[in-house]
Amino acid sequence: MQHRSALKLAFSLRLPKNMEQLRLSDWLGWRPGEHNASAHSRLLPYEKPGRSLPTMLRRRLDNAGRATCDILAALDPMARFPLVHASRHGDADHTLAMLKALAGNELPSPTRFSMSVHNATLGVHAIANQHRRPLQAIGAGGNEFEALLWEAFGYLHAGHDAVVIVFSEGELPDEYAPCTSHPGVACSVGLRLTLGNGLEILSELHPQAPTSPTPLEVIDWLIDATCHWAIEEA
Amino acid sequence: MSETTPLSLDLKRMIIDTLELEDITPDDIDYHAPLFGEGLGLDSIDALELGLALQKRYGVKLDAEAEDTRRHFASLAALEALVEDRRAD
Repeated sequence: MQHRSALKLAFSLRLPKNMEQLRLSDWLGWRPGEHNASAHSRLLPYEKPGRSLPTMLRRRLDNAGRATCDILAALDPMARFPLVHASRHGDADHTLAMLKALAGNELPSPTRFSMSVHNATLGVHAIANQHRRPLQAIGAGGNEFEALLWEAFGYLHAGHDAVVIVFSEGELPDEYAPCTSHPGVACSVGLRLTLGNGLEILSELHPQAPTSPTPLEVIDWLIDATCHWAIEEA
Repeated sequence: MSETTPLSLDLKRMIIDTLELEDITPDDIDYHAPLFGEGLGLDSIDALELGLALQKRYGVKLDAEAEDTRRHFASLAALEALVEDRRAD
């Protein structure tokens, strides 16, 4: 058993002063090309995510949204914790299709319109899992991971036992590629955070460290930083 | 009009494609079973999507507030009767 377990944050983020109280109790990620069980114990071992959702709800989400729901269901199986989801661009593919329809004087799809809000993924997850705790959706212009940690910290200090944060990006349409940064593939990563048991997260500011990590960079950091420790099962 | 007309198959394909019903084939859609709630299990957003698809494909315009709209969406059989009656081609 490890008595002094800690993760060194690989990003330069502006974080709460008492950040060292934050503990990682578990995490899960999904990214293309890692679809077999032997790839990593904390990566979803299948190519087509969405197993946590009934078919009639699953059809409304893209793969990143489906993976996000699977991760939330696994990290909060009893629907007990506040959930915070961040994405810089959301479901940009479907949003652009809707804008194109409008520009062409066609009526946009009612389904796509209803799903074009940033909290749509959390809504689908909450319906599927009868989750009735706080839900929050964030877009932060590239600073999503930092914003997620702040929000988690707030919920934990308000008295919740744990918070699940999840950070995802869908596929980015080609039209947007020159205009913004993006991990290049659909991906999602979730962390269950507490003030109790788990790995301490150490924030040592390095000026050269990335300030705006993508979900892929968070996955890489977690794989690298947790390789020496077995995550405690909650 | 029957379960095997080209129109009923066309409507089934339209439902599957526009509502993105994964893992469902035309054979899975019962001609007389309810489309909404029980049966196929469609919801209110699907009703709007289906209304738009009927308008685009067959020129059939429905009033979302009208009482008989609910009746037209009761089953595939009812939907086929509606399109036969009102299609604009």
